[in-house]
Amino acid sequence: MLTIRISFEKRAEAAYISLLDLQRVFQRILKRSGLPVYYTQGFNPHIYLSFASPLSLGQESLCESCEIKTAEENPDLASWKETLQPYMPKGIVIRSVAPAQEKSSEIGFADYTITLPLSAEDALIAYNESETAMVSKKTKRGSHEVDLKNYIPRLEYTKEGDGLSFSVRMPCASGEGVNLNPSLLLAHLQQTHAIPPWQCEVLRTQLYTKNGAIFC
Amino acid sequence: MTEFSHQLKEALSLVQKPGRYTGGEPGCTYKDKSKVDVRMAFCFPDTYEVGMSFLGEKILYELLNRHENWWCERAFMPWVDMKEQMERLNIPLYCLESKDPLSDFDIVGFTLEYELCYTNILAMLRMSGIPLRAADRDESWPLVIAGGPCVCNAEPMADFFDIMQLGEGEQMLQDVCAAMEYAKKNGLNKEQLLLNLAKIPGLYVPSFYDVTYEEDGRIRSIKPNRPGVPEKVTKAIVKDMDSFPPPENFVVPIVGAIQDRASVEVLRGCVRGCRFCQAGQIYRPFRERSPKLISDCARILCRNTGYDELSLTSLSTSDHSRLEEILDNLNSWAEADHVSLSLPSLRVDNFSESLVEKTTRVRKSGLTFAAEAGTQRLRDVINKNVTWDQIERGCRIAFREGYTSVKLYFMMGLPTETMEDIKGIADTAQQVVDLFYKIPDRPKGKGVQVTISVACFVPKPDTPFQFCAQDTREQLREKQKYLLSCVHSRKIKVNYHDSATSVLEGIFAKGDRRLGKVIETAFNHGAFFDTWEEYFDYDRWLQAFAECGIDPNFYNYRTLALDEVTPWSHLDVGVSQAFLAREYQKALRAETTQPCNRQCSGCGANKLLGGPCFAYDQNQL
Repeated sequence: MLTIRISFEKRAEAAYISLLDLQRVFQRILKRSGLPVYYTQGFNPHIYLSFASPLSLGQESLCESCEIKTAEENPDLASWKETLQPYMPKGIVIRSVAPAQEKSSEIGFADYTITLPLSAEDALIAYNESETAMVSKKTKRGSHEVDLKNYIPRLEYTKEGDGLSFSVRMPCASGEGVNLNPSLLLAHLQQTHAIPPWQCEVLRTQLYTKNGAIFC
Repeated sequence: MTEFSHQLKEALSLVQKPGRYTGGEPGCTYKDKSKVDVRMAFCFPDTYEVGMSFLGEKILYELLNRHENWWCERAFMPWVDMKEQMERLNIPLYCLESKDPLSDFDIVGFTLEYELCYTNILAMLRMSGIPLRAADRDESWPLVIAGGPCVCNAEPMADFFDIMQLGEGEQMLQDVCAAMEYAKKNGLNKEQLLLNLAKIPGLYVPSFYDVTYEEDGRIRSIKPNRPGVPEKVTKAIVKDMDSFPPPENFVVPIVGAIQDRASVEVLRGCVRGCRFCQAGQIYRPFRERSPKLISDCARILCRNTGYDELSLTSLSTSDHSRLEEILDNLNSWAEADHVSLSLPSLRVDNFSESLVEKTTRVRKSGLTFAAEAGTQRLRDVINKNVTWDQIERGCRIAFREGYTSVKLYFMMGLPTETMEDIKGIADTAQQVVDLFYKIPDRPKGKGVQVTISVACFVPKPDTPFQFCAQDTREQLREKQKYLLSCVHSRKIKVNYHDSATSVLEGIFAKGDRRLGKVIETAFNHGAFFDTWEEYFDYDRWLQAFAECGIDPNFYNYRTLALDEVTPWSHLDVGVSQAFLAREYQKALRAETTQPCNRQCSGCGANKLLGGPCFAYDQNQL
């Protein structure tokens, strides 16, 4: 048994697939592929799989990943990408299938490219000028206040066509550690300035480990 | 997100389950629209979740898309939140694959699965900007067509469709697309196209028929108004079920459909001849697929889709003469492929231990038996040839196999029904509860749960009960109340629903062309999603009837004379009016009729096959 990681892009149509639905999609695709994947040994055997730091509905990504186990110790992974790709829903493009190097609990940060309408410039200026940027973060244990400025001191944006765009690195840890969703930042910008949410695009471009190495 | 317009993205960001409106599911077909000759929008007038559960669409989607130069795409009725956003943002209704509006297509086809979806069809046309009435559309608009079981009485929707398909679509819809391709290549106008279409077996062109009425409102005649148009449209069927193999791939929904599993149709038609059941009559004659084909196609389908659950569908799967052989074939690979089997529509009278064992290797869920009526007398009237002994035997096996919950289906409002029959429903359920506690090897530590689900009977065209009047809402309410008073055990749960939707269903089932304006009026007053209780407004419908000066009671609360010209008399589904009248009279005498694989009852549907349905001399059963 070997743990492997399928890295993939999730864009366009696929951005609207929720985590729950994505799990079912991968179950079926792995099953139909006939590839030697590991099934759990319970009463209702199913394919073991786990998605690292899944995105919010509607956000896009270049670096999603799904961890599965193979039935064999040394499977030949060379053909897996080509085998799986034709079965994928529109918008999911597999980038690589390889043995997992780090556990997904090692993920620490993520880069996002955020695109906003030109009218959002005031909100960005205000953010850069303010001392604090408090948002309320809901977790299972209730909600608490977080100061975004501690993590994102400045937003360096550029104008492109009819939009503004900027890249931002945010803590993205599963389990222990801080996890911030870009929608928190957007919600904060929208609190003070009217920015239509559907004109805000979020693209996750890279995941990093806690040590700053590229995760996928 | 290049394919999504800003408006669409805005709408998607504001609605529940946006994945229903994006397309791109595994198994769906994309083609280069500049390279195809015919584009068809296959529309299901209900939500994505309901429509994606529908096997007919999967069959036809695959058949049409096998033609390289045709492209069939899908559209569904958007849920209320999405409809609102689309209207606010001026997004016309689009097909999921190309995101092109329905008005860009050559053919816009709707499936008429049940009467209460009629307003959704109008809503979908309106959302596309397509004129509702066929008379208001020239050849610059798509050809708007219909298929499905409700076409057997197409008349209430006749004004809105250019053509309607009576019967099975496998060949017919391909013929329609071919006629469209020919018309486009040769620049035919709409009249010429319709005349060509009228020659296709099973195709009904409503505008080619004139209806005249008697003074009291009954129909005098329905006659073709052009030469070369048949007096009667005869249903199209697939004579040999093995000549059209079941689909080998499905579009696999990402957002959960109600029936989210692989399914293979094992047979078509039904031998039983229950007198209330429309499907049992209009899908005649009975035709089976061979076990090997079923098993082979099912295996390919499971492999292509990745489904881990396979369902053998039909009106009555356990009536397949070689069911055990099918199951043995399937079980030879199912476990290794991680696929579990389920058999819907089991019948109590041939429910056996080996059947249970072969189908429930993996999961045990509840069991459902359709008893339909509470007393033997009434079961004989409706020709549901099931006895208490059989129900008892079926439940006994089920309880021994570990089942602890049984669901019993009944109807109320059946012809000749008395309060004695209603009490019989409660008594039957109580007997099942008592039976459970009498079985020594019943599942331990668990109680039994018997659910009785009682539907309101709706007389349907092309059935022996088409002549009957429907029970009024008051009668039904009284019967529901009485039933509740007869149930004394907490182990018994009673499900029933308000009769208003059944009443409307009854009106449209037996309605005529004059109802088109009622449907349009109700729609203009805001009626849609009538199948969804929270959007159904009975008073709005009564108001629409009043505005159009039409008495709804005329259609469903009136007994038809045996020789009356019905609104569907020019639509021939195979069974003859004489057979229906004969069966009706037998029903009134509580006389039963044998299933047709045992003895032919002369319904007339065998003319569609061109010979007898069964080799009776070989003594099959």
